[in-house]
Amino acid sequence: MSEEPKVGVFVCHCGMNIAGTINVKEVVEYARTLPHVVDANEYVFMCSAPGQDLIKDEVKNLGINRVVVAACSPAMHEPTFRAAMADAGLNRYLLEMVNIREQSAWVHSHEKRRATEKTKDLLRMAVAKAVLLEPLEELRIGMQPASLVVGGGVAGLRASLDLAQRGFKVHLVEKLPTTGGRAVGLGTMARSEMSGSELLRPILDQVESHTNIVTYLNSELVNLDGSVGYFKAKVVTYPRFVNAKCTLCEECVRVCPVEVANEYDYGLSKRKAIYLPFKDARPRIMAIDPHSCTMCGECVKVCEPGAIDLAEESRENELVVGGVILASGFEPYEPPFGDFGFGYSEKIVTLFQLERLLDANGPTKGQLVVSGTVPKNIAFIMCVGSLGTTENAHQYCSRTCCASSLKNMIRIRALYPDATIYAIYKDIRTYGRHDETLYEQATEQRVKFINFENTPNVNAGANGITVHVRDATLQASLAIPVDLVVLAVGMSPSSTLRSLRSVVKVGCSPEGFLREAHPKLRPVEAPADGIFFAGSVSGPKNVIESSMAGSATAAKASALFAKGEFHVEPITAQVTEELCSGCAVCIAMCPYGAIARKSVGDKKRAEVDRALCKACGACVAACPSGAMQQAGFKDTQLLAQIVAISERRNVR
Amino acid sequence: MSEPFEPKIVMFACNWCTYAALDLAGTSRMKYPPNFLVIKTMCSGRVDPQFIFQAFRNGADGVLVAGCHLGDCHYIEGNVKTLRRITLVRRMLDAFGIEPERLRLEWISASEADKFVKVASEMVAQIKALGPLSPKLEANA
Repeated sequence: MSEEPKVGVFVCHCGMNIAGTINVKEVVEYARTLPHVVDANEYVFMCSAPGQDLIKDEVKNLGINRVVVAACSPAMHEPTFRAAMADAGLNRYLLEMVNIREQSAWVHSHEKRRATEKTKDLLRMAVAKAVLLEPLEELRIGMQPASLVVGGGVAGLRASLDLAQRGFKVHLVEKLPTTGGRAVGLGTMARSEMSGSELLRPILDQVESHTNIVTYLNSELVNLDGSVGYFKAKVVTYPRFVNAKCTLCEECVRVCPVEVANEYDYGLSKRKAIYLPFKDARPRIMAIDPHSCTMCGECVKVCEPGAIDLAEESRENELVVGGVILASGFEPYEPPFGDFGFGYSEKIVTLFQLERLLDANGPTKGQLVVSGTVPKNIAFIMCVGSLGTTENAHQYCSRTCCASSLKNMIRIRALYPDATIYAIYKDIRTYGRHDETLYEQATEQRVKFINFENTPNVNAGANGITVHVRDATLQASLAIPVDLVVLAVGMSPSSTLRSLRSVVKVGCSPEGFLREAHPKLRPVEAPADGIFFAGSVSGPKNVIESSMAGSATAAKASALFAKGEFHVEPITAQVTEELCSGCAVCIAMCPYGAIARKSVGDKKRAEVDRALCKACGACVAACPSGAMQQAGFKDTQLLAQIVAISERRNVR
Repeated sequence: MSEPFEPKIVMFACNWCTYAALDLAGTSRMKYPPNFLVIKTMCSGRVDPQFIFQAFRNGADGVLVAGCHLGDCHYIEGNVKTLRRITLVRRMLDAFGIEPERLRLEWISASEADKFVKVASEMVAQIKALGPLSPKLEANA
């Protein structure tokens, strides 16, 4: 900035709050002796209208072009003084505040002399910085009122529908050939006769038919550029090989020679390479699984409507959106082979497999038939993969497994009144509003609760299955012969999260779930603006909580889109290209992925996307050449403030 | 007998946690010694090692860098970078003949005004015991 700095100093009494401790007159007189200070004023309440007028008058009459206000904390009145400056036609960032109320008057009222001296020190430091301040302009970013939603489970569906109903365009990306996520695999819902797929049918239909929603099945987000307001997403749609002419006649399924484990039944049943994922799957057409299909062409021969095209290729979609909602869900915890006997016997199943067995549309049509028989003695082992019960277990509680297990015990009791059901648990955590009644109901219905002291052992041999458990209440070791073990497994972060995280630059918690901007106050937002988390991508959630999170992200995204413009505080990092050597140290420092390397001629240079920068300054502190600077917190500005700690300039 | 030695301590406070803790100390009318000259940065991760050296060079007897607790950083992990840098700077200070104890790193959340008050009195006592830095710097020059 070429013009001569002219600093105006304004010292506030704050009634007696400041003036009661600090000798304001002395401070004002001292301010007048400082370099570049044109005038210094005092007033009883600088934040009042007459106080603000003092600032405006000096801008107009004395031509001051830097303002130093010594008053309360900037958290209190920085916006007030900035607005006054803007009123007077001065850039609002040419302000430096000295916090002499909170940092001096109030805390040093017992040492008035020294409080006044400290105030003079702080003021001198602020003036030294103020002289070097530069005018800054807020960054305004245009907003594309459309959203990308990654993941078509409950959370993603809810978010998509909410946004669409508010009139915003949604691009819903699902990696599987059908939407519905994990919830469609739930056999029964608590306090309801519905299965998961029946529960979701209305929302699946609404999403499918809403004109504001474009669904990309068999698709994957492979690249994301840009930032809030204007993201450019590349979505690849892999071939389904079956088009809308399909009538679901199932002739193709009959002739398909390939049989593989059905992932929708968690391996409990088989499916062909051409298949309808589950009975209520949307859209109502077959899909071919490219991983198992041998391209033999048998299906094509029998397909009367000609719905199958084995030559179909992948498509790339370039989408421009203002916000991104990540709702890619979780994966059930899978115990390592042998843990709790898992893998040794068909009679040892996970909770998610049990859900399939109890689904009327599942592999056993809702009958609890395992290895051809109905089990008489059933043991649920709780906290499998949670609360550190085994070496591989997560340390956290997955929250849903207790209620889900209890619900299934009640269901089994209703179907098989003579069955003996054991609940072998570490803790029962039925935290939901209605969930404690499930526990009460299960106890009333003669479920035998056994509180385990040590992690139970499951022995599966030729003579059947025995659960060995030390009962903490009885202080006795029990050996319980059973013919079905249900492992109540928790939720793990999705294995696809790693690749998603490399595309969308977001961090994860030590548990591997996505990390929110603030776990309590901003639970559905990523630290970077315009990116939101719905459902269990950020930690275990049940269907209710996933719906809530979906709606919450839609509300957050709508608020963004409705404003039409996004404002960024101008105190972001900036690169002086001539000084940058392209070493890329700064790139590793940035938690927001705001810095990239670009080619300038034959050289590489760092470049900051100011819309992504959150102004922490970590890159500036790391830059070895001083090329990276933070507006309002430049090295020169802060060093001037530091050098001014002493009047005696001890610079050699 | 000259005036008793009152150390000059430069304090770098992050905007989100420690600066707010200082505000809370004020609004709660807590009392602490007036030896701390506060410089605000948005994150403790902005504190460049040269700031610390320049503070010592210009008359500081101590430097306090304070930010959010690990895991609570407003910028996710800026304070982790601070931790690494301060560890290095301490070793460099030692090599320069400046006691590493003159540089202190503390995690002080927005609600921990009392922690700051405790740290402040501790640090003033500690630096008083070490004595002023400038005569040493001049002797070494």
